[in-house]
Amino acid sequence: MQDERGLIEEAHSLGGDYFLLKIAAPRIAATAKPGNFVMVRVSPSRDPLLRRPLGLLESRPPYIWLYYQVLGHGTKLLSGLRPGDGLDILGPLGNTFPELPGKRVLLVAGGRGIVPLFHYARAYGEHRPLLLLYGGRRRADLPLLERIKTLCLQGLFIFSEDGSLGQMGLLTDGLEKIVREERVDATMSCGPEAMLARVALLLKSRGLENRASLEALMGCGFGACHSCVVLAADGSYRKVCDEGPVFPLEEIQWRT
Amino acid sequence: MADLTVDLGFRTLKNPVITASGTFGYGEEFLPFFDLDILGAIIMKGIFREPRPGNPPPRLVETPAGVLNSIGLAGPGSEKLQEIIRRLHTRTNTPIIVNVCGEDDREFAEVAAVFSAMDEVAMLELNISCPNIKKGGACPAQDADHTARLVRQVKKVVGKPLIVKLSPNTADIVEVAQAAQDAGADALSLVNTFLGLAVDLEKRKPVFANVYAGLSGPAVKPLALRLVREVCRRSYVPVIGMGGISSGRDVLDYILVGAAAVQIGTVNFYEPGAAVRIIGEIETEMDKLQIKNLSEIRGKLQT
Repeated sequence: MQDERGLIEEAHSLGGDYFLLKIAAPRIAATAKPGNFVMVRVSPSRDPLLRRPLGLLESRPPYIWLYYQVLGHGTKLLSGLRPGDGLDILGPLGNTFPELPGKRVLLVAGGRGIVPLFHYARAYGEHRPLLLLYGGRRRADLPLLERIKTLCLQGLFIFSEDGSLGQMGLLTDGLEKIVREERVDATMSCGPEAMLARVALLLKSRGLENRASLEALMGCGFGACHSCVVLAADGSYRKVCDEGPVFPLEEIQWRT
Repeated sequence: MADLTVDLGFRTLKNPVITASGTFGYGEEFLPFFDLDILGAIIMKGIFREPRPGNPPPRLVETPAGVLNSIGLAGPGSEKLQEIIRRLHTRTNTPIIVNVCGEDDREFAEVAAVFSAMDEVAMLELNISCPNIKKGGACPAQDADHTARLVRQVKKVVGKPLIVKLSPNTADIVEVAQAAQDAGADALSLVNTFLGLAVDLEKRKPVFANVYAGLSGPAVKPLALRLVREVCRRSYVPVIGMGGISSGRDVLDYILVGAAAVQIGTVNFYEPGAAVRIIGEIETEMDKLQIKNLSEIRGKLQT
């Protein structure tokens, strides 16, 4: 874990609210693994005060890639950064997805939930059979598709709610069929809470090994403030930052 | 070279920077960032007798230059904290202070006695001012009589120096401070967070389950600085000031109004290495202002 001054190498607008940053952060890039995230200080001023948690889309020393959607004040400021600008980045933080060598793994990505799963596919795709189920509201919410085609995948299934890309519907509409027909051993999911809750319900008692990466509002990102908790199935709270962000899907109490 | 040492009367600290309870975890979380030996002291996250889950999320929202929190003193219970303290003590020589909590007066005394008996613990801080336990933010530090009763009771069962942490959410903090010191507090620390409210306009509901929450961060510094000054003018025990400190100059501001030492809090969240920077800045500022010793400016505000 480092508090590193990253240097922005490239800043791309991907249309709509979506942006991609390529940042030179050699110390973080050297140790980051799929599932890890970083806390980014979007402004040296005191507003916003807190850092923003962002997943790592990719990490290839000396670079890391951040893909994000502008949703508020903090990400808006982030989108104003240009190549040559510096950025304080704390990371790599949190736990990681298990590698599961030899297993047939289905990645289930809803919208910007693609981030840690893209990292997983980039890091491990060449060593095991990987499939990706990727869905969003409409074509504009899936701007990473061209980059996804450069990943080593045995299967790619696209859904959009309005039918503007791939099959029409929610990605969870296709989940059971893919799991059955593709003889999937394990799943790794990331996306909106409602999607993850649905995935958990559909995969219940199928004997697969399932993991989900969660998103949360965070104060610090390294376990000190205890603000990013999620309710576990056993009724206890878990800190998303240092007990997660990756949890066994069944360990979370999903609100349906 | 400026001398940063602080004499609390009952203990000398190598510098005035103490990490505030609830903002520094149990110390271990910060080991990757810096050598904890550089700190004046470390205060552990508040502890009750039994493990506590804390409040339901959301527990934190940002405000301009501040944060509202409603963590609700989540914690592992006093037995587990003893283990953590023993472990931490092998990693640092910095004095460890335990922030003692209780659902009632008896629990405060019971928890205080447990940690007072530990060799690894230097002092205790009595947390009678957390706004996130009872609905509406009520706490013992809002009442001078209750504060005096509680401090007397705890003093009877502890052998270690006792710091009493005060709340800004009271009509007259000076009255409460006097009650605490008259009842035997060895030092006072102030202020805990300011009661605040965040609402969800769409849902027509408060953001936090506990309705009110505690405001901290740079936004509260002028409010806290005034209260620290008021208390310092009437107190005969050392006062540890806190509220919105994020620089060496902020620390010196608190010393100038009379604080013996300070606590840094919210800044630890967004800048985990802040303590190192702040201690460095105190030295630089003192050299620049030709202050050799903190006692040269302590309480020397001219009005």
